[in-house]
Amino acid sequence: MATLQLTRLKKRYPNGFVALHGVDLSVAEGELIVIVGPSGCGKSTLLRTLAGLESISDGELTINDRRVNELEPAERDIAMVFQNYALYPHMSVAGNMGYALKNRGIAKDEVRRRVAATAELLGLGELLERRPRQLSGGQRQRVAMGRAIVREPQVFLFDEPLSNLDAKLRVQMRLEIRRLQKRLGVTAVYVTHDQVEAMTLADRLVVMNGGHVEQCGEPMTLYAQPATRFVASFLGSPAMNFLPLTAHQGGVVLPNGIQLALPFTLPEGRAATLGIRPEHLCEAASTTEGAILEVTVEMLEPLGADMLAYTRLPGLDEWLVVRLDGAHAAHEGQRLSLTFSPAHCHVFDAEGRRVAMAEETDAKVRAVQ
Amino acid sequence: MRYQRRGLDVVSHLLLAAGCGLFFLPVWLAFTASTHSMSDLYTHIAPLWIGDVGLANYARLLSEPVNGLNAGVLRLLFNSLVMATGIAVGKIVISVLAAYAIVFFRFPFRRLCFWLIFITLMLPVEVRILPTYEVVANLQMLDSYSGLILPLIASATATFLLRQFYLTIPPELVEAARIDGAGPWRFLKDILLPLSKTNLAALFVIMFIYGWNQYLWPLLITTDADYMTVVVSLKRMLTTGDALVPWQDVTATAILAMGPPVLVILILQRYFVKGLVDAEK
Repeated sequence: MATLQLTRLKKRYPNGFVALHGVDLSVAEGELIVIVGPSGCGKSTLLRTLAGLESISDGELTINDRRVNELEPAERDIAMVFQNYALYPHMSVAGNMGYALKNRGIAKDEVRRRVAATAELLGLGELLERRPRQLSGGQRQRVAMGRAIVREPQVFLFDEPLSNLDAKLRVQMRLEIRRLQKRLGVTAVYVTHDQVEAMTLADRLVVMNGGHVEQCGEPMTLYAQPATRFVASFLGSPAMNFLPLTAHQGGVVLPNGIQLALPFTLPEGRAATLGIRPEHLCEAASTTEGAILEVTVEMLEPLGADMLAYTRLPGLDEWLVVRLDGAHAAHEGQRLSLTFSPAHCHVFDAEGRRVAMAEETDAKVRAVQ
Repeated sequence: MRYQRRGLDVVSHLLLAAGCGLFFLPVWLAFTASTHSMSDLYTHIAPLWIGDVGLANYARLLSEPVNGLNAGVLRLLFNSLVMATGIAVGKIVISVLAAYAIVFFRFPFRRLCFWLIFITLMLPVEVRILPTYEVVANLQMLDSYSGLILPLIASATATFLLRQFYLTIPPELVEAARIDGAGPWRFLKDILLPLSKTNLAALFVIMFIYGWNQYLWPLLITTDADYMTVVVSLKRMLTTGDALVPWQDVTATAILAMGPPVLVILILQRYFVKGLVDAEK
């Protein structure tokens, strides 16, 4: 168990490329932090600097208040699970798991005992003598986990460990990682580009973009109050809908002239973006006063429990995706009246930052014709 | 490709058999010649079947010094074995280390080092034989095993082959080993060498045969029959002045000289074929 402290951590490559622009993060004991972001956002670089596989250009990294910037990976007391597992192909499962212990000069009996105990924990008992190529993808994944667990490290580092598995196994292993991490109580940093994995695993979520931390917090906080348009677009599936708008007479106006009374205070004439999630749009009952958005369904994606309707507002190019009930009898070309609560609206300014909602959050959203 | 046609099977096997026969015929002729007496060989055309003095020929050859040389065939074979093994092992040790440095370590002029090694591919022994002789002579290594072996153990080919193999090792494997606390030597010993086992076996076979078949270099630096190799002695046995060439001895020596390389191939062929076909991943 350990705490992890990153202070203005920077990574600059010799060719001048800056992968990390000063990352600040503190991780509490036993916490599972998930770092998520698109490819090239620096999340893997960050993990590799934590591991010691990349040098730190500037800033400080401490594990349990001990500065580890200059330490070799093996001296940092961390364990890493790689995307392609990186198992030693010529060693048996037991050999793979015990290699680090052997290198530390731990007695053979002790190594065997600890490997056996870990294998038991992961259900690998039968496979200890097999070679990695005789294992299935899920089993290899378990061995990679076992190799990390058996060392009893201060920190687990996971580098997209589930992305080589098929969808079903991924869900299963996701739960298992969560269960093991909680049971062992080891601090963990988990990197992924899969936002579902990120949401479900994280105690706290760090969204990265272009070498910066965009936002850090509990998954539901980030989902409900994304600090930037980037975070809003990255979390949630299907992604949040965005509509361009201009502030007008205390409300906002969409490019096609539809005016909405929204409780956001923007200077008159300022351009911004309205964000609303597909699951927060619902069909207005015919009796509802002032139905809000009249859209035309252009495409349907039945997912079983839900039905995604790709719709457009008249005169606008932007898609408006709506999550309908799976049994909804919508058909292409149909017109729908949609309504939404202002509490579910997000407004982002031209720089993509969240605009705070005005006090009167109970205000009704109404179309002003 | 696999075709389900009986006719094709028969034809391919006939072709294979004919090919094998063609390549085996000279060896067979050498073997039969080694079992006849000298007078037989000079009065009859090349014999196709085994003669009656085979055992006697071989026994005499193995117990007495070779004509015109004061060293026996066993000594010559031993010299060849030392030289070929020394060259093969030396080449592998040097190439493993060179390729390891070039692929896994970052140091200044790394690329330059690689290209310098690579360029030496264009300089076989024959091209640099005079300066090499000069150096070896100055180091007092004429007529010695080290003189036979050392100038031949640098190998650009082996370095290049191993480099190509090392480049296929996923970087994560190297990183996993670093995290597991394996230093450079331990990584080489525990991970790289076991993984390149098949490549090393294939290289050993190729390099052993290369060393065994060396002719020009041993011919040049050995004057003492104690250090002469069997391949050089074969040529020496043919230059008999006015006397008749003892073909039964020459062919018998040639047959004996084939032994060690064949043995090496038989022992290592399991790895050898695997190493050439696919690296064990």
